[in-house]
Amino acid sequence: MKHDFGYFEEDHLSQVSDVKLWKRILTYISPYWKQITTAVLLSFVITAAGLALPYLISLAIDDYIINTEITRLDRISGLTKIATVFACFVILGFLANFFQVILLEWTGQNIMHRMRQDLFSHILTLNLGFFNNNPIGKLVTRLTNDIQNMHDMFTSIIVTLFNDLFRIVGIFIILAWMDWRLALVMSLLVPIIILNTVWFSRLARKAFREIRTQLARINTYLQESLSGMEVIQLFQREDEAEVRYRNLSRDYLNKSIYQIKIFGIFMPMIELLSAISIAIVIWHGGGEVLDGRITIGVLVAFLAYMRLFFQPLRELSQKYSIVQSAMASAERIFQLMDTKPVMAAPEKTIQPSPTRGHIAFKNVSFGYNRKTRILHDLSFTIEPGETVAVVGPTGAGKSTLINLLERFYDPDQGGIFLDGHDLKKIDTLWLRNHIGFVMQDVLIVPDTIRKNILLSHEADDNTLEKILEQSQLAEFVHSLDKGWETKVGQRGIEMSAGQRQLLAFARVLASDPRILVLDEATSNVDSETEIRIERAVATTLANRTGIVIAHRLSTIRRADRILVMDKGKIIEQGTHEILMAQGGMYAHLQNLHMNGTDVK
Amino acid sequence: MQKFFRYLSQSKDALSLVVPAFKRNRLRVLSGFLAIIAVDIIQLQIPRIIKKAVDGLQESSVTQPELLRYGLMIVALALSIAALRFGWRYLILGFSRILERDLRCTMFSHLLTLDNRFFQKRSTGELMALSSNDLASVQIAFGMGMVAGADAVFMTIATLGFMAYIHPILTLIAISPMPVLAILTTVLSARLHKRFTKVQEQFSELTEFVRSCLASIRLVKAHTQEKHQSGLFNDMGKEYVRDNIRLAMVQGTLFPFAGLIANTSMLLVIFFGGRYTIEGHITVGEFVAFTSYLFMLTWPMMALGWVTSLFQRGITSLGRISGVLDEHTALTSTETEKLPADTKKLRIQDLTYTYPGQNRPALEKISLEISPGILGVVGRTGSGKSTLCHILARLSPVMDNTVFLENRDINTLSITDFRSRVAYVPQDIILFADTIAANISLGNTDATMDEIQKAAATASIHDEIMEMEEGYQSRIGERGVKLSGGQRQRIALARALLLDRPVLIIDDGLSSVDMDTEQKIIAALSGYIRDRICIIVSHRIAPLVNANTLIVLDQGRIAAQGAHEELLRTNSFYATIHKYQTSFTTTPPENSTEPGGPAR
Repeated sequence: MKHDFGYFEEDHLSQVSDVKLWKRILTYISPYWKQITTAVLLSFVITAAGLALPYLISLAIDDYIINTEITRLDRISGLTKIATVFACFVILGFLANFFQVILLEWTGQNIMHRMRQDLFSHILTLNLGFFNNNPIGKLVTRLTNDIQNMHDMFTSIIVTLFNDLFRIVGIFIILAWMDWRLALVMSLLVPIIILNTVWFSRLARKAFREIRTQLARINTYLQESLSGMEVIQLFQREDEAEVRYRNLSRDYLNKSIYQIKIFGIFMPMIELLSAISIAIVIWHGGGEVLDGRITIGVLVAFLAYMRLFFQPLRELSQKYSIVQSAMASAERIFQLMDTKPVMAAPEKTIQPSPTRGHIAFKNVSFGYNRKTRILHDLSFTIEPGETVAVVGPTGAGKSTLINLLERFYDPDQGGIFLDGHDLKKIDTLWLRNHIGFVMQDVLIVPDTIRKNILLSHEADDNTLEKILEQSQLAEFVHSLDKGWETKVGQRGIEMSAGQRQLLAFARVLASDPRILVLDEATSNVDSETEIRIERAVATTLANRTGIVIAHRLSTIRRADRILVMDKGKIIEQGTHEILMAQGGMYAHLQNLHMNGTDVK
Repeated sequence: MQKFFRYLSQSKDALSLVVPAFKRNRLRVLSGFLAIIAVDIIQLQIPRIIKKAVDGLQESSVTQPELLRYGLMIVALALSIAALRFGWRYLILGFSRILERDLRCTMFSHLLTLDNRFFQKRSTGELMALSSNDLASVQIAFGMGMVAGADAVFMTIATLGFMAYIHPILTLIAISPMPVLAILTTVLSARLHKRFTKVQEQFSELTEFVRSCLASIRLVKAHTQEKHQSGLFNDMGKEYVRDNIRLAMVQGTLFPFAGLIANTSMLLVIFFGGRYTIEGHITVGEFVAFTSYLFMLTWPMMALGWVTSLFQRGITSLGRISGVLDEHTALTSTETEKLPADTKKLRIQDLTYTYPGQNRPALEKISLEISPGILGVVGRTGSGKSTLCHILARLSPVMDNTVFLENRDINTLSITDFRSRVAYVPQDIILFADTIAANISLGNTDATMDEIQKAAATASIHDEIMEMEEGYQSRIGERGVKLSGGQRQRIALARALLLDRPVLIIDDGLSSVDMDTEQKIIAALSGYIRDRICIIVSHRIAPLVNANTLIVLDQGRIAAQGAHEELLRTNSFYATIHKYQTSFTTTPPENSTEPGGPAR
């Protein structure tokens, strides 16, 4: 059920005895105590029904099959009685078993669902800095495979723990009750079994881990080679790649063979112990039959119980390793749940209204980490309704500006003010709802186009139609059979890059914010879409305060003011004509675009 | 069983894949099977000893030393069973691992020979799944599956024989419920498989949802969609829970049901066997032995269904693997001509190229002569730029007499020889998890540090590498340095330059490098390029204005060809693009003069 290609994070394996971890897990289990208790009670029934069967056989032998003291007719009718009781127990065991499986699956799935949901909602509250430091693959593993690991523990372990425990204890009680001497002799085997299992578990775990790590290595290399196949072929590294892969596979083979050997010793060992126990029953128990201390029926029952006793032992170590990996998963899951958002929300947040759309950056300095500072002492203001284009080379800090304005990060020094209020004091959700956003990537929610445009807003059909017209999406949407009710994303149709861009503009028109932040896409779209996007930009920017990271000259020209950034500072500002006349950085960049040569 | 064999014969092709491994390891497999049979035969002796002992006890004809002898005999048999079990585990399971290794390496070696048509058809994820999931199911089928199958078949026959030897009619009575189990297993297995697949699909959908949501976390936050996404996730999670419970319903029936059937058999034996004992048809010892045999029979009966599904899965997987191995590269070469000494002239004549499964050709009637100097290729996305590069790098197959090197048809030249003339910088940069130095010297492992640094300097990346803590020894990858898109592209360029080959193809490989740096690189390249063929694809015209020749691709055709100034004068399409990228017009011309533009 796990498709993680065997990737396995071994950083810290926890101890099963970790009390804190169990306490956390228990908080998730405790709402389901009724179901769990029922499952445990069912365990009792299953064990009792299972253990009654050999006893019934021994009764049948002693009281009727070999009992020559009563009439044959009585013997047969007695046998029929026992068979009936036997049938009842069999059916009872079957039903109890079935209900237990379903009940535990239901409970386990619901617990996991809650845990997954909690974790997902929690991850969504974390701020962007967290996502920069944690690769998505890792977070996805937490939400999927780690949760699944825990589920495996819930369904297979909790059941078998009780079933096996009850069974083993039950067998001992019955044996002791039937013949305490023989039971005592049998119990001598117990320490050997425990030692064997512990020794094996340790070796097996190590072997498993090595195999998994090696498989992860193979898969990593395979993935790398597959995605770099062109490069391998063009640079003619085929032979090298083959040798490396062959070596990785050979190591994997050796590690697997080692594991086979360990299992090859342990599994037959349990069988051997089982055979020894039977030999003891025959020898010692047989002697007792000769002495008349026990009956043949008891001896036969002993033989049957011994078999039942050894059955669960074979899987014990396997179950132990499931618990191990589930606990490791639990630790990772809770660790993630305990990660706090770095930007603490102020005690009291404000929701300024109505918004005018005045933005001020005052002496803002910022870096994503301590080593490199991206913005240096940046100050500027944007008047309500003004459109400001930000231009500059890659790495100048343009995107960072937007990240700060959206409050994905807080500045290290200085402050950002919206209508005179410090962003830190404003409710973050409110802030993001009141700043329209068009970025290079566009979020596609797996839902209808209508939902994708409106997101959390409401609008009637007429308004929506108007938005579609203004955002140049009308033609596309009308060409679809189901119009705006068409599903897009994971389970629906794909939208082209250009259409996605237009969708982003439609969203802004739907939410109608006072402020628009626009990060123009640099991607190549065909000229027709290009024209549409330009029109959409014009409509969307009208009557709003706008900050545009501009790549299109048309957009730059439309701006009331141009900020030229370089290395985290504003080095020039003014209109296009003024800046061109100054012959500075802006003029230099424009000339590069125009002629491919620098006229400086 | 019949169905199983029919399935086998249908999958003959797939099975032929494992035949060589069987032949190579025939001794190993044969002795493995012998060990399994030996284990089964010896195992069946134990109930006979038990029978003797019980009968002896019943008749009180057995003595204490005799009982000890019986016990010791059981232990001796058990010891040889343990040794033989270790033997078959090591032999057969070891064989399955060897088979897995062989298939793994064969597959990888084969993948290395395939061209990019194949890799466009099959995603990396699909091939990864082949190497992890499918290989694993093949290994399980030919390991545990083969063992369990052989064991089950032999055990069933032998046990039935022994039982029939004791009492044929009682044997028939005892096994009468077994067919019900077989039928039910077959029916339920199919349903189990279907529901299991559903659960797996649901799981990967969940995974994909989480991945895509977290990948665009910035957008989710900017649009304050946290709640909505949580809601969607919740719905999917609930669906997943529901499907899991549906699966458990089948599982919960199947496994307890096998126990139910086994116990029903036991019930019949108690009732009828008990009667026979009372009536003196069989002895008590025989009765007890009979129950022991029945117990032995339970497992093979349960295993048959399991083994069948293991083999079904294994063979399906094998079929998928052989599907890949049956793919052959469309790149062919007669190798009739020797590689010319010079690489001064590449000629394309009337080349049309259509991707498999597509109607519209990606390239149409291209004729072009390429000589040393820069050939600039511009055109919008999907115009055929990359296809042209792939063909010239000999990554995509072409018809005879369409591409010539020094007047020799490239289909007559050895592919490796031809590729050894080409250095290539692809659009998507793949770097390997290794040091920067190793990545740059990928195709030229003998290169000195000086040469590596020189190549890096030409690609304008040297300074940035030196700024890293470990310089050229910095590792790239998840735990190493994080490189920006532009840095990756420049490292890939350095890697290609170090190859020092007469043809250099840059397939939009500088798209993430800012214009300033791109200018610098192209200036630095001018010395390197002098007597080499250099093909540069770019979506920006500006860096290519100094190219010796420029071609404009549009919908797979060469729309214009010539030097920059010439094209500006003569070709309206080129002039439009140029104007569009550089001019200050606020709206592009309404009726653009592009040839073959999308129909309105």
